[in-house]
This record gives sequence, C-alpha cells and structure tokens, in this order.
Amino acid sequence: MKALAITALLLISFNAFSAEIKLHDPKLNEPAPNFVEQNSYGVYVQLSDFIGQPVILEWTNHECPYVARHYSKKNMQAVQKAAQKKGFIWLSIISSTPGDQGHVSGDQANELTMSRNASPTHVLLDESGKIGMQYGAKTTPHMFMIDATGVLRYKGAIDDIGQGMKFFDASFNDSVNYISTQLDAVLKNSELEISNTVAYGCSVKYDY
Amino acid sequence: MRNTLITFSFLLCSLATAAPVNTGHAEASLVTNLQDTQQESFYLGVRLKMKEGWHTYWENPGDSGGAFEASWVQNEDIIIENVEWPTPVTIPYPPLMTYGYEGDVIFPFKVFRAIDSDLSIVSLKFSFLICSDICIPEEAELNIDLSTAKPSLMLEQTIKNLPIDFLDTKTSVSDETIKIQFQAPKMFSEAYFFPREDGLFTYTSVQDLNQIDNQTFEISIPALTSEIESFSGILRLDSQGYQVKEALEISTPTMSLFSAIIFALLGGLILNLMPCVFPVISLKVLSFVAMGGNDHAKIRNHALTFVSGVLFTFLLIASTLIFIRSSGAMIGWGFQLQSPEIVGVLTLIMFGIGLILLTDINMAKGLTSIGSNAQSRNDYSGSFFTGVLAVVVASPCTAPFMGAAIGYALLQPSFATLPIFLALGIGFAGPYLALALKPQWISALPKPGAWMETLKQFFAFPMMATALWLMWVFMLQTSGDALIQLLVLSLALAISIWMIATFNNAIKWIGLTLTVVAGIQFFTNIPVTQINLEQGTTNSGWNVSLESDLQEKNQAYLINFTAAWCITCQANEKTSLGRASVKKYLEDNNIRYIKADWTNRDENITKSLSKYGRSGVPLYVFWKPGMQSSKILPAVLTEAILIRGMQ
Repeated sequence: MKALAITALLLISFNAFSAEIKLHDPKLNEPAPNFVEQNSYGVYVQLSDFIGQPVILEWTNHECPYVARHYSKKNMQAVQKAAQKKGFIWLSIISSTPGDQGHVSGDQANELTMSRNASPTHVLLDESGKIGMQYGAKTTPHMFMIDATGVLRYKGAIDDIGQGMKFFDASFNDSVNYISTQLDAVLKNSELEISNTVAYGCSVKYDY
Repeated sequence: MRNTLITFSFLLCSLATAAPVNTGHAEASLVTNLQDTQQESFYLGVRLKMKEGWHTYWENPGDSGGAFEASWVQNEDIIIENVEWPTPVTIPYPPLMTYGYEGDVIFPFKVFRAIDSDLSIVSLKFSFLICSDICIPEEAELNIDLSTAKPSLMLEQTIKNLPIDFLDTKTSVSDETIKIQFQAPKMFSEAYFFPREDGLFTYTSVQDLNQIDNQTFEISIPALTSEIESFSGILRLDSQGYQVKEALEISTPTMSLFSAIIFALLGGLILNLMPCVFPVISLKVLSFVAMGGNDHAKIRNHALTFVSGVLFTFLLIASTLIFIRSSGAMIGWGFQLQSPEIVGVLTLIMFGIGLILLTDINMAKGLTSIGSNAQSRNDYSGSFFTGVLAVVVASPCTAPFMGAAIGYALLQPSFATLPIFLALGIGFAGPYLALALKPQWISALPKPGAWMETLKQFFAFPMMATALWLMWVFMLQTSGDALIQLLVLSLALAISIWMIATFNNAIKWIGLTLTVVAGIQFFTNIPVTQINLEQGTTNSGWNVSLESDLQEKNQAYLINFTAAWCITCQANEKTSLGRASVKKYLEDNNIRYIKADWTNRDENITKSLSKYGRSGVPLYVFWKPGMQSSKILPAVLTEAILIRGMQ
C-alpha cells in the first residue's frame, strides 16, 4: 500500500515535471483542449462554458513591444470589437510567470483593459503556463480561433506582417489580418482557407 | 539660432564617424575593411556590442524574435549588398528555441564602388530587436567616413569565419524523420543544423548525431512534414558554419488537382490557335460552313463525332503515358515526336492532306469530310479522324497554361493523370462542343460559296509547310540518307493520289499496287541511323549538375530546354532568344546561355524538367547571383518579356 502511494506520488511528480517543459501542439479541426482558470476578477472560467459560441484566444503580455504596438495603434482593440460584434467570445490569456515580464495581478489586468480601451470577455491569469503549454503558445501575440461547436479552426499569427524589425514600421491597414478576415468562415463551423501560420512576437514568459 | 546650434552639434556628432552609439542595451558602430582607395570591393560591418545576457537574431529567429532591418544612405556610385549572416548560435529559452548572436558581433555587408569615385560618408539606420528574457526594439543612426576610416581587424576575422563553403549533404525524409547526411571536412565534436525555412521541424527538437563511416555523419531530427521541397540553412560544426542547400528529389507540385484541371481546360482551348493545329481546325470549320445552316441535327452529330475523336486521342495518349511510366521510363509531352518513324508518318500525312486539298479530289471527303453532300457513314468517320488528326498534329505545340497542367498530371498517380488529359481534350474541343449544343450558331459564319474552294486550296500551303518542318525534324533525328528515303515515299504518295484521281478502272489498281510495293521496298531499306543517345547530345555544355555548378561559381545563366519538333520553342528562338539585342543583353550582363536539346530522348533532361514540375519543352530557367533559387520564365516569349524576366 505504502509502495503504491510512493509510486503514485513519483508518477504525479514526474508528470508535473514533464508538463512543465512540454509545449503541446493542438490539432486543427479537432475539439480544442478544455481548460479552467481564474479571470482577473477571481472567477473561474472554463472553455466548455462557451459551447454554442465561437471563441478567440489571444496570448498577451502588455510589456512585449509587439503586443504594445498592436494596442497603441488600436489594432488589437479593433479586431476585438469586430469579433465581438459577430458574437465571438474573446479570452486574453497571460501566461507570464510571477516576477517575469507581463505578469499582472487581477487589478492590474483590469486597469490595463480600461486604459487601453480594450474589451476582452475575460482576461485569464495563467500563471502556471498550463493553458499556454496545452495550446503550444510560443509568442505574444499568438492567436487561436475555436468555432461554436468547440473545434479548433485557427492557430498562429494575428496577421501577415511577421517577425523582423519591419513590424515596427509596418501599417496594419496594409496587412492581412488572419483573425478579422476569417470571422465569417469560423461562424460556418468549417475548415479555414488559412488555418495554420507561424506566430511572431516575443516569447511567452513561461516558468523555467 | 538655437536650432542652428542643435543642427551643428548633430552634424558634429555624426561626423565623428566610428564613435559607437549607445542604443540602450548595446553599443552599435559602423566599421570597414577598406585598405586603400583603389579597392573596388570591400566590406562594411555593423558592430553590435551587446550587454551580457542580451542577444539579437539570425535571419530565421526560431520560435520568437526577429531579424534586424538596415536602411542605407549612400552615394549612387556605391552598391551595398544584403548582409552575409555569420554563423548563429542556439539561444534556448525553454520551452522555446531561438537562433541568434550574443556578446560582440559584426554583421558584414559586401560593398562595390565605382573605381574612380570619391570615398565619402555612408549612413545607416539600423533597427534591431535585442532580448534577454524580455525584448526591446532599439535603433541607431550610424555613420562612417570612408575617406578616413581605419580597417577593422575584427571585421576581417568575421569575414574569414563566414559560413561560405557549401557542404555536400544528402537529405531525406522518412518515418517522420529528417536525415541530413554529410561528409565532415574536419574533426568536430558538435553539430547543429539551423534551417532557413520554417516548418521543417520543431526548433527545440534534439538533433541526433550518428557516425555512418569514417567521414560520413548523419543528423536526424523529428520532422513536422513529409513534403519538403527545398532545404537550406547553415550546418554548424563546432564553431564553423557551412552552407547547406538542396532541392529534394521529385517534389510534390504545389498546384492542386482542381487548378491543374482549370489550367488544362484553358490550355486546350488556346491550343486551337497554335500554328500547328490551325490549318486542320480551319478545315473542320469549313466543313461545318459547307453544311450550311439548315440541318442542325447533322451539324450536332458531326461536331460530337469530332469531339469524341479528340477525347479518344487524348485518353489514348494519357493511357500510353501511364503505361510507359509504369514501366519506369521517363517521358513527357511530345514524346511521340521523339521517334523518327512517327515523325516520318506525320510528314506523309501532312503532305498528303496538302495534295488532296490542292487537287480537289473527291476522296478528300473521306479524310476530312469537306463537301456538303452525302450522309454516308464515311462522313462521320471523317469527322472522328479529323479529331484524332488534330490532336496528333497538336502534340509539338504547347499552349500557355498547358505546360504546368501536364507537368502536374505526369507527376501524379494515374487517377489524377486521366482527368487532366480529359480536361485538356474538352478544352481543345470546347468550340465544337458549343456548336453541338447550339448548331444555329453556324449561321453566324459566312454563307458557303466559291470562296470556300479557294480558301481550301490555300490551306494546302500551311499543311505543306508543316510537312517541310517535320522533314527537318526527321533529318535532325536521323540522317540525310533517311531524309531522301522519306522524300521518295512522299513522291510515291503523290503518284498514288494522282492515280486515284485520274483513273477509274483496273489501271488504277495496278498502278496503285506497283506504287505501294515500290514504297514498301524503299521504306524497309531506310538506313535509319538513329543518333546514339550518349554521343549525339548536341547540348552545348548542358549537364545534370550544371545549375548547381554555375550557382556555386556565382555565374548567372539562362537555360533553354528545347527540341527541334517543338514549334513554340522554335517560335521563341525567332521572336526573342535568337535576336541580336537579346544576345547582346546576355553578353553585357554576363549571363551564360545554355541550350538543353530534347529533340531525341534524354533521360537526364526529362529528370531535370520534372524537377521544375514540367514534362515537356519549352522551359526557360534563369538564375543570377543573389537569387535564392532559379526562376522559370514564361513559355511564350517576346524580347520584352525575356529581358524583363531577367532583370
């Protein structure tokens, strides 16, 4: 009995350890992995709450220069509003570990939302990085679109500007936004024309 | 006053040249290795001295980050090339992996200048992303006065260590693993491959190193995809980097079956207007005109019969291609013209049709269904065979869109080959299908009359011209002796036709028999000295490895894949490739012009064509230093298109 308990403990700790460094890569056009996390008001939110509505996940870190430019140019807010107008749920997820860049308390998160005039449905505080690793979030921003039936339809970059310093001079109006241009397609619960791109930006500040 | 002062002090600062600019987490400066004022080419370098723990990125930054941007301001007599990236290092940031540079690094840019130009100030706006665990975009305005700058030893060192040498690698993807095999040029203990393209493998993957034999090593990495077309990057052995660049064997074409079918339909339709098909098609149109606007059912039946002849032949060609391919041989579009026997028979057919048109013999009815009388079964078989004939004579022609579609078809499994050829046939027969559906459209054409007779006779000449051209092809494929034999056969054919037209009774049959016997006698004695494949290559300097050789030597080139029987190729020779202005352009720009002649079967050329997703000629391939990979020029060329394509 004791041996069993120790083995179980070892297994659990081993699992916990391996989960810490492993980024998963969720499959497109299959059910998106479910998760539960506290939002900025301390309320637990889970993905399966939103079955029947399409969902957008946005990995964010307000101190990352890429994210900062998307917000200061009002680009992210515009995409957010366009999506919500069509009935999308918008979840901003912060996977920065405590003490690292971009980590915020619930109050700070709400303040950021106010000051940036943003309108996420929820801001999720993924301090452990669990959701981030479940979805293989590599950069901020990193975007995911899930249709109303809970199927993952898009993973990748927010637009086609891409990494490199040209981003900081690029015009958002001249770029192709993979999210706002494909909202209607997600509403149809079918495969997207562009469903998998390479996300660009700062690395997600996981705990390692 | 204050403004002037500020401007002045700014000028002073920028004139102080090599003084490093503090950007926040790095010191940036411009350096050069220019030694004396007579040097035509030298390097400029951006030196970035980063604080400890901070890094910037390679051209592929890995999972996050991004490469720098450099915008130069310089006089017109100086050309600054793209950066030559030093060998990067791995900068792990679990669970991510990034590629870049730490500490003190120089990014070298090659510079060319007009020899008699003055050395002056070169300025640069350099913006870059610098990261530790957080990232900050920083930038600097850098200046260097080339007339006073001292050569930098560190830049020399950086240039010496640039990953310039190509390493011979053999890369394969199997069992979800990328295997990179290479010959080690020297002893080493650690190896790492930095890919230039994204999506080949997860950057955090462990790269396993195995020794195969003495000098051969293999890196295996779990692959993200099994469809890798080209493959390039830097292989790092300890601290020295080597260039790796490969086009993997038989790449899967990126075209979809759907777009290939659309291309085939379009290509087939345009094929109607190609010079080798036009006369035959015109005859068919004439026969429709002759039927007049009265008998719609008859027009419909004839049109449908013609269409079925076309489709039958296309499917026959497709089946033959599939069959030959299944036996392992490499072939392509127009392959039937690579056999001199078939070219000979085609010559006789063309010549024969020409004679029949000129002499107004009634038997013409049977062959091309010209004439408005008679509803005999013969008439319909005539329509059918005109369809067959139209496709057969079309084979030396490639219309726009067709090359890509057929190239795709031939690299696909059989079930995809047939629909594409079918689509080609439907496109080709499109106008007649339309006619079958709406026979009343025929009344839009001019009324039948005496003009038809004249036009019909006139069409004899394009047919004869085609025969002449085929004779030339035949001669290139065989020899002058064989050509004479073919001409003798043509004479026999002419006599036969004359006899059929002139005599009515036993004399006709006796005469015909004699002619046929004589003809067979000659034919079996043709000393067809087929050109030996090995030695017969008149390919001026073309060989399989030519492209990679020239690229290595930084020699720009234009390769013309052509064949004597390919009319489009010959037309392009006349309208562009053969012109003096084009020759001069090639010479002036030091572009090597190479002909790869596919008149006779040549497996190596067929393989090279398939590398470009093509199965036939023409194909024009162009490359010049600075281009990542060679580029395919349009199939139908004009002087302007060609020269623009090479700029």
